[in-house]
Amino acid sequence: MLTYILRRLGLAALITILAVTLLFLIIHMIPGDPVSTMLGPKASPELRAALEARMGLDKPLPVQIGLFFANMLRGDLGMDVFTNRPVTTIVLGQIPYTLVLILSSILWSAVLGIALGCYSAVNRNSLGDRLAGVLSVSVIAVPAFVVSLYSLLIFAVKLQWFPAIGAGEPGAWGDQFHHLILPSLAIGLSWVGYIARLVRASMLEVMGEGHVRTARAFGLPERWITYRYALRLAILPTVTVIGVGMGFLLSAAVFTEIVFSRPGLGKLVIDSITTRNYPVVMGSVLFSTLIFVASTTLADIINAILDPRIRAGK
Amino acid sequence: MTSQNITWSRVGLPRRAFLKGATALGLASVAGLSLPRGARAEGGTLKTRTYADIRSMDPAFSQGVVDEEIHAAIYNKLIQYKPGREWGWQLDAAAMVEQADDTHINFALRDDIGFTGGFGAMTAEDVKFSFERIIDDALESTNKPDWGPLDHVEVTGERTGTIVLKNAFQPLWNITLPYIAGNIVSKAAFEQAGGKIDTQPVATSGPYLHAGWEPKQKTTLKRNPDWKGEAPAYDEIQIFHIDDEKAAEIAFEAGEIDFTRVSLDSVERLKSAPIEGATLDEYPSLYYAWVGMNLDNPKLANIKLRQAIQYAIDVPSIMAGAYFGAAEPSTGIIAPGLAGHREASMTGAAADLEKAQALMAESGETNVSLTMDILNKSANVTAAQIIQANLAAIGITLEIKLNEGATFWELGSNEGLELVLNRFSMTPDPYYATSWFIAEQAGIWNWERFRNEEFDQLHIAAQSEADQAKRAEMYVRMQNLMEESGAYKFITHESTPVIYRNTVAPALRPDGLPLYRYFGAA
Repeated sequence: MLTYILRRLGLAALITILAVTLLFLIIHMIPGDPVSTMLGPKASPELRAALEARMGLDKPLPVQIGLFFANMLRGDLGMDVFTNRPVTTIVLGQIPYTLVLILSSILWSAVLGIALGCYSAVNRNSLGDRLAGVLSVSVIAVPAFVVSLYSLLIFAVKLQWFPAIGAGEPGAWGDQFHHLILPSLAIGLSWVGYIARLVRASMLEVMGEGHVRTARAFGLPERWITYRYALRLAILPTVTVIGVGMGFLLSAAVFTEIVFSRPGLGKLVIDSITTRNYPVVMGSVLFSTLIFVASTTLADIINAILDPRIRAGK
Repeated sequence: MTSQNITWSRVGLPRRAFLKGATALGLASVAGLSLPRGARAEGGTLKTRTYADIRSMDPAFSQGVVDEEIHAAIYNKLIQYKPGREWGWQLDAAAMVEQADDTHINFALRDDIGFTGGFGAMTAEDVKFSFERIIDDALESTNKPDWGPLDHVEVTGERTGTIVLKNAFQPLWNITLPYIAGNIVSKAAFEQAGGKIDTQPVATSGPYLHAGWEPKQKTTLKRNPDWKGEAPAYDEIQIFHIDDEKAAEIAFEAGEIDFTRVSLDSVERLKSAPIEGATLDEYPSLYYAWVGMNLDNPKLANIKLRQAIQYAIDVPSIMAGAYFGAAEPSTGIIAPGLAGHREASMTGAAADLEKAQALMAESGETNVSLTMDILNKSANVTAAQIIQANLAAIGITLEIKLNEGATFWELGSNEGLELVLNRFSMTPDPYYATSWFIAEQAGIWNWERFRNEEFDQLHIAAQSEADQAKRAEMYVRMQNLMEESGAYKFITHESTPVIYRNTVAPALRPDGLPLYRYFGAA
C-alpha cells in the first residue's frame, strides 16, 4: 500500500510541474501586457521599464519559469502588481471560500445522489425509479450558471429567503452558511443527477455478481446485502468521478462566484487574467492545480483502500 | 481597523480674512461653501456597489475611480467636486484657496481637521508632502502626470502655503486638486510607514474611517467620531465588490444594496416596470466612443474613402441598437457641460448615404475590404454590426475582429491597424481628452496616428489659457481638426444610469459617479 501511495504522490508532483509549466507558457503567450494595464494611459517609458524589471518581465521566458519554480520552493509566489501584497497571502485568503463551496456542494449532492441511486437500483423499473431517472437526466443537463441565475431570481429576489451576494460576515458561521446555500445548490444540483445515475448503474451491475448471489444463497437479509456488500463496491466509480470532478467543480465555481459576487479562487483567477496580473494568475493556477491533483490522488488512494485489486495492480 | 485616536492643537487662523481674498473662481465655489447637501445624521448603514476591488489606499498609486470613491470619503483635499448636475468644486480642507497669479495658488487650511492614529492636525507640511511626493521620480507614482507642471509647495505658515507651478495649468482646478492627486495624507504617518502604503490606510482625516477590507468582497467605512465638519449621514457604508452589472441589479432588487449603476439595456425595463421604493436616474457620462481610422495604413490613405466612411455611419441606429436609446450621439471627444463641447459635429450624426456614395465614387476605390477591431462587449458587437451594414451600403466589406480586454488595449502599437471602435475614459477637463491625440502619442494612445501641428500647439496653449471662452474655442477647433482629417467618426459619450432606494439621497458627480461622503438620507 505504501509503495502505491508513494508512486501516486510522485506522479502527482510530476503532473503539477508539467501543468504549471504549460499554463505559465500559455499565459505569457497570449497578447496583453500587465504593465500597460497597471500603469494605464499615463505611463512614461521610464515607469514602464522600472515595473517590467520589478516583475521580471525583462528576462527571457525560460529564466522567468526557472525563477518561478525556485521562488515557489521557498514559498514565495511574488507580489501582486496592483496591491503590492504577497500572492501567497492573497490566494490563501481566497481558497477557503472556494473549498467550502466545492466541498459543501459535493457533500450534499453525494449524499442525495447515492441515496437516490440506491433507491432506484433496489426498486428497479418502479415508478419511483423512473421519476428519479427523469429528474436526474434533467438536472444533469442544466448548467450551473442557469441554476445560479434562476435560484437568485426565485429565492433571493422574489422570495427573499436567501442573500444574493457575498459570502457573509467573517466569523458569523450562521450568516456564512446562509450565504452558501444558493451557490452550493447551483454547483451541486447537476451532480445529484450524475451521481444517482452512476450509483444506480454500478449497483445493478454489482447486484448481479457472484458474491452477491452467494450472499443471497446464504440467506443474508436483502438490506444487509445491498448496503454492506453491493454499495461498498458500487460506490468505487463514484469516488473516482468525484475526484476527477474537482476540475469541473472548480470551473463551475468560477461562474458561481461571479454570479453571486462571492470571493474565491475562481473570481481571483478571472480578475487576474483580465488584468494580466501574472504573479496572481500563476499563484491561483498553482493552487488550483494542487487542489485538482490532490483530489484525484486522494480518490485513487481511497479506491485502493476500498478495493484490494487496485493496490495489487490488477 | 484604523485607530481613531486623534489629538491635535487648534491654532486660531484668520479664516474670514482668507475668505475675503478668494478669487472669482474660488468665490463661485464658496457660494457652495455651504456644506454638502443632504448630510443629515440619521445613522444606519448604506450598502452600495463598486465594479472592481480596491488596489491602493495610497493616492500616489490610486488606480482611478474605484480607489478614489473611498479616498474621497476618508481623506480630505483642498477642494472637492460639488455634487450636482453641473461641474464645480467646493472647499474641503481649505478655508481659502486662490489663484494669486498664473503660477501661484495660495491656500489656507481649516483649523479643525486632524488625522487618526494620533498624527495630529493637518498642516501645510502635510499638503506639501502629499503633493510633492507624487512628482518625486523616486516614488514612481503612476499619478505624476496629474500634477502637470507642479514645481513645489511653499509652506508659509502652519496652515498656509502656496502651490508653485512651472507654468500656468488650468486643468489643476478640474482634475488635480479635486481628484486623486489632490488627496492630503499625513506626512508623519507616511514617513513612519516607510514612504508609501498599500491597501491599508495609516492615518485618515475624512468624515468616514476605513474600517475594514475583505478582498474581493467589500470595503467598510465607518463614521469618524472625531470629524468636526458637517456630520456624515451614515454610521457605516458597505461597498460591495460586484463585477457584473446584472448581478448588481439582482442584488438591488433583492434589497441587498441601496445604490448601484445599472446597465444601459436595463434602463427601458426599469422605466416600464419600476422597482417599488426606488428611483432611476440617468446622468450623462464623460466617456467618449468613436470609430478611428489609422492614417498610416495605406488602405486608408485616401481621404475621400475616410470621409465616405464618416458619412456612411449612422449613429442614431447605433444609439437605438447598441445603447437601447439610453445614450445620445456625440459631437466630439468633449462631453456636454465641459469647456470645448461642440454643439454639432461636421459630418452629422445621421448617415448621409448620398454624400457617402459620392465621396466613395470620388475616391476611385473599389472592392474595399477593411477590418475593424473592437473590444468584446455586447454593445460594441452590436454597434460594429450596424457599422458593418452601413459600410456595406457604400460597397465596403467590413470584417469585425473581437478582442479580449488586455489584448485590445495593446492594439495602439499595431501599425497594421485599420478601423477601430474605441472608447476612452475621461476626467472633467478637456485637456485630458486632447492629450491622447497629439503627435507624440501616435502609436501609443493616438491609434489613428493623427498628426497635426496646429492641434499640438493648441493643446499646449489651452492648458494655460485663463480666459474660459477662448479656451473653449481652442478645444472646439481641435475637434474640428480631428474630424477634418477623416480619421474620426464620433459615436457617443454613453450615459450612467443609476438606481437608488428612495430612503437614500445620493450625492453624485455630474457624470453619475458617487461622492459617498456627501450621501444623505432622504
